[in-house]
Amino acid sequence: MNSSTSTNEIQDRIRAVLRRTIGDPVDGLPPDTDLATALGDRYDSLTALECIVAIESAFGIEVDFVAQDVRYWFATIDRMTTFVRDQLEDRASLGSAG
Amino acid sequence: MSTTAPAPDRLAVLPVTGEPDLWCTYAAVRTLSWLDRAGRTPGLESTSEFIRGRRNPDGGYAWSRGMPSDAWATFYCTSTLADLHQPLPDLAGTARWLDSSWSGDAYAMTPGQQPEVWATHFATRTMVEVCAADVPDADRLLSWLGALQTRDGGLTWTPEHAVAGDADVRAAYYGLAAWRALHSRHPVPPPWNVAALLRWLRARQSPTGAFRFDADADTDCMWATYRAVAALGLLGARPAIDPTGWITARRLPGGGFTRWSGYPVADVWASFCAVGALRWIGELPPGTADAVERRIAELSCAGGGFTYREPALAADALTVAATVLASDGRDAAGLRRWLEHCRLPNEGGIMYMPGRGAEIRCTLWALAAGAFAGDPATGAAIGEWLTRLHNPDGGFGCWHGRGSDLVSTAAAVGVAELTGTRMVDAGRVAAYVGGEPPSDGLRPGLQTARILAWAGHREPRRVSALLDAHRVSGGGWAARGNRMPDLLSTYEAVLTADRFGIAVDAAPLAAFLARTACGDAVAWSPLAPAGTDPLARCLHRLLRRRVADPAFRPPVLVLS
Repeated sequence: MNSSTSTNEIQDRIRAVLRRTIGDPVDGLPPDTDLATALGDRYDSLTALECIVAIESAFGIEVDFVAQDVRYWFATIDRMTTFVRDQLEDRASLGSAG
Repeated sequence: MSTTAPAPDRLAVLPVTGEPDLWCTYAAVRTLSWLDRAGRTPGLESTSEFIRGRRNPDGGYAWSRGMPSDAWATFYCTSTLADLHQPLPDLAGTARWLDSSWSGDAYAMTPGQQPEVWATHFATRTMVEVCAADVPDADRLLSWLGALQTRDGGLTWTPEHAVAGDADVRAAYYGLAAWRALHSRHPVPPPWNVAALLRWLRARQSPTGAFRFDADADTDCMWATYRAVAALGLLGARPAIDPTGWITARRLPGGGFTRWSGYPVADVWASFCAVGALRWIGELPPGTADAVERRIAELSCAGGGFTYREPALAADALTVAATVLASDGRDAAGLRRWLEHCRLPNEGGIMYMPGRGAEIRCTLWALAAGAFAGDPATGAAIGEWLTRLHNPDGGFGCWHGRGSDLVSTAAAVGVAELTGTRMVDAGRVAAYVGGEPPSDGLRPGLQTARILAWAGHREPRRVSALLDAHRVSGGGWAARGNRMPDLLSTYEAVLTADRFGIAVDAAPLAAFLARTACGDAVAWSPLAPAGTDPLARCLHRLLRRRVADPAFRPPVLVLS
């Protein structure tokens, strides 16, 4: 699998998940925009939690709210993409090692 | 307890938030509206935005952004927006939310609570005066209001309170104002023995012309004077003695009014009450309107809204107590004395903001911070006040006459423990907790367990199971489920575990505390922004101390 294609696919799927939770305002947002700054109350900690749970479900991953810096990784779409990609790669390497 | 004490701001350098408060903002704007000056409200647009930010998707409004809707906040927010001539969004939605707090006879403050006259007054007036709609059943509401009358002629908080008495001028006003709102849509006579009610109200007046809340109150009070004058006015009557002289004598050189004789602070509520009472009596004395407007302008906050006095001096009991608790007691003597000055005439507990009303939760925090330590006489007086607030259903509300809730009942038990009072009937408290539907979530379960343990029913296995169900594997405890830990839930989990002798693993707790700290800043949860909220810093500091010293026992503190 081409890694840049894979990253784009991940980002598209993340946008789709966020759109279901937050709505249309997600569409025009550049991937490096800080969501809390851009969306204000529409991306408060409760909404962020909903988004994280939805992303977990969409990608079959599990976030550790204490060990991982969720406030950093779920601040922009770019970072979410990196986080999800790393989780998927970790899972794949663990699977192949097994 | 004295009103001639030094001004609280002379006692210590106070921690203040500088934040506006809804109650203060309503009082400021309504006073300006009465003076026909609402259009000149300082920061009108930002004040309106402050109010609009309290609207919830359910149609009600909350005391703070993100909190559940309640009837009182809904009245204050909608009334303030109306006074400021701002549009009121989706009034049908607000009416639907009010319907959800209807008990079948009257209104509760939030859905599921027992109805009482504070909530019924605010909800009825919002429904009729703001939403221009009918209450669900006017006949049943009228019957409920009629049952508030006590044997001595006054009105009290609920029909159940009427059996024991406990009439209060505020309850009389709220009952009468709710009836008046009903009457405006469906003309009906007042559902009480009016002659007896008038006699009871007039008996609350001192020879000075001022009024007091009830027969036991020993100090003339501006709040009581306004409510009594207004209650008499709603019945088409006037006080036997003109209180104008007493009211105008409460004006300070700066123009604002004070609540009691000798009290040094002209707060927003005293000016609200003074202007409200003077309007019922007749015209305002010359110069009053200009002076009050000037004083209210001094109470406006930079980002909109108002607080009770100058923002730089507007400390509150929770912030001050949290600062003391987080300081490990260093340099705290002045702050403790400030907390002790929040215990003011006619109410035995400690007020959130001095001059407002005594609240159980603030009393718990202040006592935990060491206020009145080594003063058993005051501890006993606070215990006596607590018994007065004990509701007929066995629980406690946040202050006098408010419907019972678990947080206030847990706080009351904490106050009973700290004061050593044995006057609170533990059996009735246990019956209230046992009679409540089981709440899901960690904190209600922990609060219930602590209340029952205080009443003699320790259930450590139930507590262990609850802690296990909400323990987050990485560290900390979650309010719901076991994914997202938060500071308040973790604090209550640790203090409850300690009280039940259940081991707390320090390593994951330390990991949670590290994740919610960023330099001096602290976050309520891993997803919340880190900041300088004094309450969050206090709980975080106490938990860090618990990690460093396993023998340290965090004090019982409840918030929500």
